Amino acid sequence: MINKKLTPSEERQRQRFIEKSSRVSAKYLRRLTELKGAPDTLKPFIDVLENIYVNMDGPHFNTKKPLIGTYCVMVPQELIYAAGGQPIKLCSGSYTAFSIGDDLVPRDACPLIKAVMGYQTMCVMPIYDDCSMMIVPITCDCKKKMAGMLKDLVNTYSFHIPTSKEDDTDLDQIVNELYELIPALESVTGQSITHKSLSESLDQVGFAQYQMTRFNEFKKNQPALIKGTHAMAVMNASSYMPINDFSEKLYLLNQELAKRKKSKVFVSQKKEPRLMVTGSPIIFPNIKIPLLIEEMGGSLVADETCMGERSLYDPAVVVDQSFDGMMRALANRYTRPCTCPTFVNNDQRIFRIKQMIKDHQVEGVIYHVLRGCLVYDFEYQMLEEELGKLNVPIIRVESDYNEEDIEQLRIRIEAFIELIKLKDLQKK
Amino acid sequence: MIQTDDKKFASYQTEYLDTLKKLMQESIASNELHYFYNVIYSYLKPEQMLNHKPEIIIMGTGIPEELIYAAGSKPFYILGGSQGAVNWSDDVVPRDTDPVSRSMLGFLLNESFNLAEKALIICPITCDSNRKMAWLLKSSGKNVVTVDIPPDKSDPLAGIKWTQEMKKLSKKISDHTKKRITKKSLMAATKQINKTRKLMAEFISLCEELGPTFKGSTRMAVLNAYYYSSDPRAYSMHLKNLNLELIEKIRTQTTQSYVKPSVLLMGSPVFLPNYKIPFLVEDIGMHIEATLDTTIQKIYSASKKEHQDIDIFTAVIFSQLRYDCSTAYSKNEMLYQSASWQIRKNKINGVIFHVLKGQIEYDFELERLEKLFGEASIPVFRLETDYQYQDVEQLRIRMEAFMEMLTQNQYRTNKAAV
Repeated sequence: MINKKLTPSEERQRQRFIEKSSRVSAKYLRRLTELKGAPDTLKPFIDVLENIYVNMDGPHFNTKKPLIGTYCVMVPQELIYAAGGQPIKLCSGSYTAFSIGDDLVPRDACPLIKAVMGYQTMCVMPIYDDCSMMIVPITCDCKKKMAGMLKDLVNTYSFHIPTSKEDDTDLDQIVNELYELIPALESVTGQSITHKSLSESLDQVGFAQYQMTRFNEFKKNQPALIKGTHAMAVMNASSYMPINDFSEKLYLLNQELAKRKKSKVFVSQKKEPRLMVTGSPIIFPNIKIPLLIEEMGGSLVADETCMGERSLYDPAVVVDQSFDGMMRALANRYTRPCTCPTFVNNDQRIFRIKQMIKDHQVEGVIYHVLRGCLVYDFEYQMLEEELGKLNVPIIRVESDYNEEDIEQLRIRIEAFIELIKLKDLQKK
Repeated sequence: MIQTDDKKFASYQTEYLDTLKKLMQESIASNELHYFYNVIYSYLKPEQMLNHKPEIIIMGTGIPEELIYAAGSKPFYILGGSQGAVNWSDDVVPRDTDPVSRSMLGFLLNESFNLAEKALIICPITCDSNRKMAWLLKSSGKNVVTVDIPPDKSDPLAGIKWTQEMKKLSKKISDHTKKRITKKSLMAATKQINKTRKLMAEFISLCEELGPTFKGSTRMAVLNAYYYSSDPRAYSMHLKNLNLELIEKIRTQTTQSYVKPSVLLMGSPVFLPNYKIPFLVEDIGMHIEATLDTTIQKIYSASKKEHQDIDIFTAVIFSQLRYDCSTAYSKNEMLYQSASWQIRKNKINGVIFHVLKGQIEYDFELERLEKLFGEASIPVFRLETDYQYQDVEQLRIRMEAFMEMLTQNQYRTNKAAV
């Protein structure tokens, strides 16, 4: 929390910031809940988002575990749990924090970094202020420089992500990076990572991944059993929930979706175009794109983003039960299937997207690029060529953390949906 | 075969010929300078580019070249710097890609040049553009080896990571050149390069002594020619002769009554042929006293004695890591220290912080540096541009205002002294 005494004007600015941030989040949460067809068991996830972003209460964990802030998807949650910590993802989608961060980092930096720096300096969000340590994987230029800036403010650990993942030596390197992370975690939590604790945390996260696999299977259903925006809310909420709690709630959600499937309760019609979103992360409250897709009559059936399916779709497979074997399994799981454009050779992402298009029967892809997110922009052209071969339409939408571009985005997304509908008609 | 008067090469040719012409017109009378201009001309002219079939290509300056010489080869540097080459890569990169990367890709993916036909391209991953450029080059069938840069120099294991990367790279270079890097060959290469670097350091110090008589842009071009030279020994020899000429000039130089405001040019690298910024600075009457980019501290590393007790491979690679002033790191203390050193030298009146559009890492460093220069009462002027020439007049107006401010400051200081 804030250490220095604020002047009356600073205090007023702070209050205005809190009110505005809370109001924007409440608005998006309302739009999210107003979307038809929300399962009853979605409520706990919505409550988490409300608690964090609207009430700004911080995570209500029934534990005194030290909070370890993480960014991106490369930090193994299992290691943090094994060290007795509670991971929490801090990548932010706040428009209000973005406007504060705009003055702190260069103009062309990506909005995600601006939002993080905004929250970090305003000291109003418990999820940031209560972190004992932040682990920043160096995945792009902005994260790299952000790590340098955060170091001046909080206990920050720069997590080096090798740029290549093809050879065995690359895997060895990430294993070494994980071993290097262990003492840093232990020094914060005061608890050692043992064979037993790591094995237990692998089981816990593994169970969550199993539930997530079930959830993803339900998402493939045609017509849809759950709205894509609701599914993204689940994924976003997972960032702020203890893993067992998340698994438990997701289990209940899966049960409800199973019942829906059995009794043929659907949230979309058969003729609704099935869309997929990929590219830069979509983080609450910046959910304008999924909301626009579904409000304009599309059905968001899949997402290939790091705040979506990418974070939990693949479990760690432990072949060798030794401690080193578990570490290797973690290194494998967090890099090999990862389709983050931080890796030089990311052909895998194209395969993954093609696979998802097939599995989810996707008819069109929306490629989301946050302004300044160059790595995703680079990959667009190749994906466009590949999807062209499959005759799957794709559009690139560039956006920022503000609401000024909503109407433009709406027109583009609406036109894209109409294009797909027209294509369907022509087929018939 | 493409013709040199082909439309495709028109803007490329115009740019480098104009730059060379201006350099030649405005530099002091010197026989030796022609050698360096010839080196630049030979490197850039399209007929020559068509014939170049380098064995090893280095993108940027972030790799210790000693390793390549030790493997019996010569590095061919691709540094960007050409607006003409930027135009060739427009279709393959996103809109916000920085001009240096665009230009590099233009050189390497230009089918007419086919520079990378037989080459091993070494691409240090210093930024996002390099990361994705390496992918584009690989996808188009080029032989690319990437080098990971440890992002945090203060990490106790950064040295180990860097050593591993350099060992991997050395092996790749040896496999490609089919010549083993031995202690002896590395020692010989280091000796030769250090000799050249010492001459470069001497050249910089002579230029400082000469002051505005020897233009900053000429100094930059001579130093840039090192990277475009195909014969490092000849480069050293001619630099030695140039230094002797400069010593003679210093001896005979009379004291100048008018002193131009001196600036430090730092930030995004300025490479030939795009000398838009140095020319503009000088056109309006300022003197580029010093430059601070990724190449400059490497020059001074040759005179340091700190690595004498370790093996030659470790000494070479650690020298690169330590003196690297690039923004490839989350926080680069070397860049900061180099800027402090420039302040201590007490010769600059202002700083021009050059940011090429899309090179966001430099912008992140600016705040800290602005504070540093602010404490020394040295004004900093941030200038954002790309390789195009359309914004020259706007930049000129802004820069003139900056110069007027520096002149006023100088006047006030002189008055106070009286």
